[in-house]
Amino acid sequence: MTTLFINDEEVTVTAGTSILEACRKHGADVPYFCYHPELSVAANCRMCLVEVEGFAKPAASCCTPVSEGMKVRTQSEGLSKDRQMVMEYLLIHHPLDCPVCDQGGACKLQDYTITHGANHGRYAEEKRAVVDHDLGPFVSTCMTRCIHCTRCVRFADEIAGTGDMGILNRSDHMKIDGIVEEALESELSGNLAEICPVGALLDKPSHDVSRPWEVTRHKSTCTQCPQGCDIVIESRGKEVIRIKSDHEGVESWICDRGRYVYDAFRSVHRISQPTIKEGDGSVAVAWDEAFAHAVNILKDKKVGIVFSPYWSVEGLASIRMLKDVAFKDAKVAFDLHRRDMRMFAFEEGFGSSTEDIVEADEVVILGSDLRQRLPILMQMLRKRSNEGKSVSRIGAMHYRTNSELSNDQIIRPRDWHAVIARAMQQLIDQGKPAAGMKEWMAKVTDRHEAGKVLADALLADTCCLLVGEEIRSHVDAASLIFGLDMLMRASGHGEVGRDGRNLIPEGMNAQLLSAVFGDVRVSVGELLDAANDGDIEALLLIGSDPLGDGLFPVEAKRAMGKVPMVQVGAIAGQISVFADVQLPAAAYSEVEGTFINQEGRIRVATQPLKSLGEERALWKIMMRLAQDLGFEAPAVSLDGVREAIAQYIPELKDVWAGKADGGWKVPVKRNRIAEMLPNDIEPAMALDVVSRYSMYREGAWVRASASLAEAGRLHALDDVIVHPDTLAALGLKANDKCTFQTSNGACQFVAGTRDDVSPGVLFVSKRGVAGDLSSETMVNLSKGGA
Amino acid sequence: MTISSDPSKVTAICFDRINIPNQNKLSVARENGAYKFLSTVLKEFDSDKIISEVKTSGLRGRGGAGFPTGLKWSFVPRNTGKPIYLLCNADEGEPGTFKDRDIMRFDPHLLIEGMIMAGFALGVHDAYIYIRGEFLHEANVLNAAIEEAYAANLLGENILGTNYSLNLTVHRGAGAYVCGEETALIESLEGKPGRPRFKPPFPAVEGFYACPTVVNNVETLATIPAILEFGGAWHAAIGKPNNTGMKIFSVSGHVNKPGNYEVPLGTTLRSLIENQCGGLQHGSVPKAIIPGGSSTPWILAEHYDVPLTYDDIVKAGSFLGSGAIIVMDETADMVALTRRLTHFYAHESCGQCTPCREGTGWVERVMTRVENGSGCEADLTVLKEASEHMAGRTICALADGAAAPVLSLLKHFPDEVRSHLKEKVA
Repeated sequence: MTTLFINDEEVTVTAGTSILEACRKHGADVPYFCYHPELSVAANCRMCLVEVEGFAKPAASCCTPVSEGMKVRTQSEGLSKDRQMVMEYLLIHHPLDCPVCDQGGACKLQDYTITHGANHGRYAEEKRAVVDHDLGPFVSTCMTRCIHCTRCVRFADEIAGTGDMGILNRSDHMKIDGIVEEALESELSGNLAEICPVGALLDKPSHDVSRPWEVTRHKSTCTQCPQGCDIVIESRGKEVIRIKSDHEGVESWICDRGRYVYDAFRSVHRISQPTIKEGDGSVAVAWDEAFAHAVNILKDKKVGIVFSPYWSVEGLASIRMLKDVAFKDAKVAFDLHRRDMRMFAFEEGFGSSTEDIVEADEVVILGSDLRQRLPILMQMLRKRSNEGKSVSRIGAMHYRTNSELSNDQIIRPRDWHAVIARAMQQLIDQGKPAAGMKEWMAKVTDRHEAGKVLADALLADTCCLLVGEEIRSHVDAASLIFGLDMLMRASGHGEVGRDGRNLIPEGMNAQLLSAVFGDVRVSVGELLDAANDGDIEALLLIGSDPLGDGLFPVEAKRAMGKVPMVQVGAIAGQISVFADVQLPAAAYSEVEGTFINQEGRIRVATQPLKSLGEERALWKIMMRLAQDLGFEAPAVSLDGVREAIAQYIPELKDVWAGKADGGWKVPVKRNRIAEMLPNDIEPAMALDVVSRYSMYREGAWVRASASLAEAGRLHALDDVIVHPDTLAALGLKANDKCTFQTSNGACQFVAGTRDDVSPGVLFVSKRGVAGDLSSETMVNLSKGGA
Repeated sequence: MTISSDPSKVTAICFDRINIPNQNKLSVARENGAYKFLSTVLKEFDSDKIISEVKTSGLRGRGGAGFPTGLKWSFVPRNTGKPIYLLCNADEGEPGTFKDRDIMRFDPHLLIEGMIMAGFALGVHDAYIYIRGEFLHEANVLNAAIEEAYAANLLGENILGTNYSLNLTVHRGAGAYVCGEETALIESLEGKPGRPRFKPPFPAVEGFYACPTVVNNVETLATIPAILEFGGAWHAAIGKPNNTGMKIFSVSGHVNKPGNYEVPLGTTLRSLIENQCGGLQHGSVPKAIIPGGSSTPWILAEHYDVPLTYDDIVKAGSFLGSGAIIVMDETADMVALTRRLTHFYAHESCGQCTPCREGTGWVERVMTRVENGSGCEADLTVLKEASEHMAGRTICALADGAAAPVLSLLKHFPDEVRSHLKEKVA
């Protein structure tokens, strides 16, 4: 620790802290432009000058470390003049167009001009003008306003990992340039507008829409992926204007998916009032009439309930409450990506905290396109890689990460058993066996060398696994996860406090879902097939869209229209044409509710926005349905619902009462009894199918957003991708028409090729022409087609 | 070498062999004493002894800052597990300076020998000469000399049969003045745009590729062989206390015989100009003198008798800098001269710090207006404030250099500026 004096006040900070950070921590106001707590120091704006006793000249506080007994002054006549001059220098070439600039009202340059600037400028010569860049659907530019703080350059280098932005030229010809367009390749590009201290980089979707002083800010939680980032929703009246990261939150950045999904909130795809089907279309009706129709469809029927994890904890629990009173025999399903419904040794959710993962000696990503799946966690791993710490990966593709991985192995999904068995062998050889390993290994003939990467990492002192969608959606997922569980326990990474077992969930609230629905869940495929076969007589669809998402599109297509359907939700989606009744439920931003993220962190939303139409909170709709179906409503208030949830997770009671320790996290469910041996089924077909996840296309909310759809179009890969060797072995080349033999018959597509996918794997885009192949786990490929 | 072991009789150190034809050829250089003492240094000296001799010698960096060389070398942390680098700053770009160029083109082996000795003292195995891009001929001469030195086992593995190995590489700059600043030089050598780094960390701790790095000027390194041969005390006896040794002055401007002159530190300015440079072109005293390159403040005739030492020039209000003396006699148009210098700095500002990026261009435009006769009285305040508030407020000292001529003009010749204001362009 170092003790210094800031404006005569004694202050103690960690040694090596910069003067600026010491001042910020202790409330001494020092103005700055180029400094950003998450970025490296550039020290180029020279606004943060302070006086230090004994220094001949004013010091830039951002790059001067504190020293013992240092005496710092942040205000003086000299400094006022210096700051006034820096403002005058900056305004030489800055256009005075604040009235038409979106940054106006929330602009550092504008604020400091008022507080530190002179009342007029003395520059009388020609001003500089700079050509703008096209930064894609999310960021608009006005480079003439740039003050060259280089925050964007450092962001691209250090955070997004795309680099390629830079400063060209010298003196006042200097400009931000390079392959700037590359920045839009980043899933974090929306942050550029947020870090720009002036109006050079602006938010494109909300450009020229509102002024900062017109909006109300609502703290909320993003539910677009299991990360559950803290966000601030800016609204004008009921209309969402933009979403920003919450700078008081855990992480400074949010991804483009979470930021730009907001146009879905006000899109035509919202279900804004109750409707009933009439002819080919639907008509809006009053709530009472809609409920009456819904009751007609559901009452005394064998019901199938499919819901999405986007809802709040209260909404999700109310689904179970409805089922328990009204549909005791109903089939319930929610995970559109899980084929194996046996218990997992470790269920969805993280055993490690984010800090544990960032700090661990070794991190191994298993079968996940983490940059798209969890962009913010990937960003933290990128930071970790940049510091020289190891991040390894095994998966079906060299998924782009925008950072260096220490080891990146590609395998086919069918190789997972052999990979795990290879790792087990190494642990046994090195004296770290676990009971059950031998039996598990005996069921696996092959050993895959990629297992060495896994075993080597396991031998480190601390190791975190990030188990992704390729394993979670595997037909034999339970045995794979049991195998991984044995590996982790054998190597000491399974104990409380150092638990490195992390299964990336489908969405938010995974811990609650396994606690509340663990005993009743079935596979979505099984439920849809039951509907197709007549074992289910009516569908209650709550926010889920199995036609648009997930691994059961063929099953969904078959089942739709066979039985009547009640749709409860916020977004209509593709499936809505089959809905006989639609009941509008409030979006995640429009409810008071609780959200649990992948690591079990709890957020309770208390400042909801008003819904645009007649939406109601999901729990209210569920309880009203129960009532109208002739049962007593299990709860009549939010507190009542919460009381019911406390049966499953009692600690939540304290959270709601405001008595909980802020650090308490909902634990992940462990299934000790889940001893699963690998299945004996020999792969019947040549290629394994991997259904590719795209952050711009997956999820009903995202598909309702026009700007994300545009990004999805820009980022799309080929709909069907295989390794060139796979085609060559069949005498085919890229862009030849191929016949795909599937368990559901044959179909023909043109296959594209990429070098970065594993040979023997077929990647399909869920939303592409070959989306139905997502229902398959294996196919045979042959030459042919008209 | 013909350097006298009697300090009072020394007439030249770096320029000792400068007039011998074909000195750039190894055979000729060796006939004249080059590398004569190298083997003794490598075999009988150790790092501590060399650094201690250099400290005793009182040698101060000849590039401009005048920092004691021995002290700089002693700051380099050993045993960090990282390699240590020696970089020779041959980016001689300061307007008015042309001394290093002569050493490199006429006596390259002197520099190479100095670098081997310095490298040996610092435990360096990879050294670089970062040479100004425009010095194509000098770079070719150096490369040829280095090639010969490799062939003669003066560079490369196991130099002269010892355990010491050193690789020496010439790297040409790309024409940026700011790359003469040591951290910008390091950035440039790393392949990045030449923009100075803020300090700390200092290059001695984290320099080239984040490894301990020493950056020395050509003249500094060329002085090392004589110091080690004749001893630190010998060097300390030349010149004045705290300002020891010989120094090359590049004299230009209104003198009859401009050129490079190596004289003992402490020689008076008047003596240098009248005895060596053949006196002024017009008049008996200069109108103004830039004593250490264009970035140093001007001194006037009242300081014509100042001894040329680091300390005495500071007392006179300026800096000895790189020893580039630009002499202006009564015919000089100080406004035109300043305007030209402001153009130089505006062109060479790297652009990263706000005051320098915007200030240098602003000052140049106002100076242009003033020179053209379309300035106004308020411009004097603008020039003063815009210059004062860039100096000392930026990462490197380029802004200080840009401010110096303008502030000198306003301080010493305000009337000359005002007379320009009155002239209106037709």
